[in-house]
Amino acid sequence: MAKVNVIQSEKSLAKFEFQDSEASLLDSLQHNGVEMLYHCREGFCGACRCKIKSGSVTYLNEPLAFVRKGEILTCCSKPAGDIEIELL
Amino acid sequence: MRYTTFNQHDVNPLEQPMFFGETVNVARYDQQRHSIFEKLIEKQLSFFWRPEEIDVSRDRADFQSMTESEKHIFISNLKYQTLLDSIQGRSPNVALLPITSLPELETWIETWSFSETIHSRSYTHILRNLFNDPSPIFDDIVRNEEILKRASDISQYYDDLIFHTQLFQTLGEGKHTIEGVEYTVTMRELKKKLYLAVNSINALEAIRFYVSFACTFAFAEREIMEGNSKIIRLIARDENLHLTSTQHIINLWADGQDDPEMQEISMECFAEAQEIFLKAVEQEKEWATYLFKDGSMIGLNEEILCQYVEYIANHRMAAIGMPTMFDVKSNPLPWMNKYLESDNVQVAPQEAEISSYLVGQIDSEVNAAAFDGFEL
Repeated sequence: MAKVNVIQSEKSLAKFEFQDSEASLLDSLQHNGVEMLYHCREGFCGACRCKIKSGSVTYLNEPLAFVRKGEILTCCSKPAGDIEIELL
Repeated sequence: MRYTTFNQHDVNPLEQPMFFGETVNVARYDQQRHSIFEKLIEKQLSFFWRPEEIDVSRDRADFQSMTESEKHIFISNLKYQTLLDSIQGRSPNVALLPITSLPELETWIETWSFSETIHSRSYTHILRNLFNDPSPIFDDIVRNEEILKRASDISQYYDDLIFHTQLFQTLGEGKHTIEGVEYTVTMRELKKKLYLAVNSINALEAIRFYVSFACTFAFAEREIMEGNSKIIRLIARDENLHLTSTQHIINLWADGQDDPEMQEISMECFAEAQEIFLKAVEQEKEWATYLFKDGSMIGLNEEILCQYVEYIANHRMAAIGMPTMFDVKSNPLPWMNKYLESDNVQVAPQEAEISSYLVGQIDSEVNAAAFDGFEL
């Protein structure tokens, strides 16, 4: 199971393991009590955008929102191995 | 350079910038410079809805039992949204289509604007249900100072771009005197006006709807005005997609993936674009003050609403490469998220309204075994 490390303002916010039963990284973040902005949950609005500091994710469907290098959308992706992400 | 409805130059659209290149000739989508816009078209089409599908009849009784200050909040928001969609239902077409150079972008702009006209029609649908005669509400939109203040701020960038484009397309570059006023028209200036107009549209889609969305969903949290809330959810879903399109345009320019001159302008006018955004944030916060002038409503007050505006402003600004300006780290209105979820917006829980079912739902593969059960 992939380990997820969440940071915000250079402080650790949460550390947990992604469960294979979870549909997306956003689901997993919510199950683990991380409160973050999201809207569409389909990858078109980009509200759940965050920075990825290490590791990578696999997309469940291609995001329509603009995603820069070093950014990911959490609503339509799953971690591909251990990751560290930074919330705005 | 006059606008032509069918440019007879043999143009390669793959080499054209989004705006101010050659005018579009063949509406073809087999090859695309920025394929994202066709994907947005498909998504927008899958969202198609009609206001009449949503039953708002139960809202009438809810409305009548509201306090006067709540009625003020509800009606003022509808007026403001009516203004926003009146502008958005026509302006992208009028301002952007005459200067668009890519077929996929041209069709996206038309699709986008069309969806805004559905929003406009839905406000009439809502108001007709609440009032025997909704005309005083509509009449007040052009008389209400709070709304007019916002209208002029939003339309000025559009109007400026439209007017200068008209000068350029009839008289060309140079100095032109119209009604005693001299205007200098250069391509560089036109592109700057375009950049500012798109930033103003982006701020509109990003921020301006959200105070009224929050009020609508706060009523829905109390299980009142739910028909209205269903309509506003559909509108919010569309607006989220429109926002993605303006973010794409701004980021494609800034990242140097389109017109190199627009990349220069993105740097040159960055501070001005930031000011446009911050002014929209300020105006939204002032709107919250106006809404709550006679008293707040359960679950919402001015302070928390302003914090929410700042919170989403941070996210929207970061999305177009701007530094975040406000110190709000956690979502002040976490329940808003669920109203903005795309597939939570079903009018009736039928597959037809779930967008993922509608994209690519036709299976054209038929094998001989498909007819095994038939007999003649």
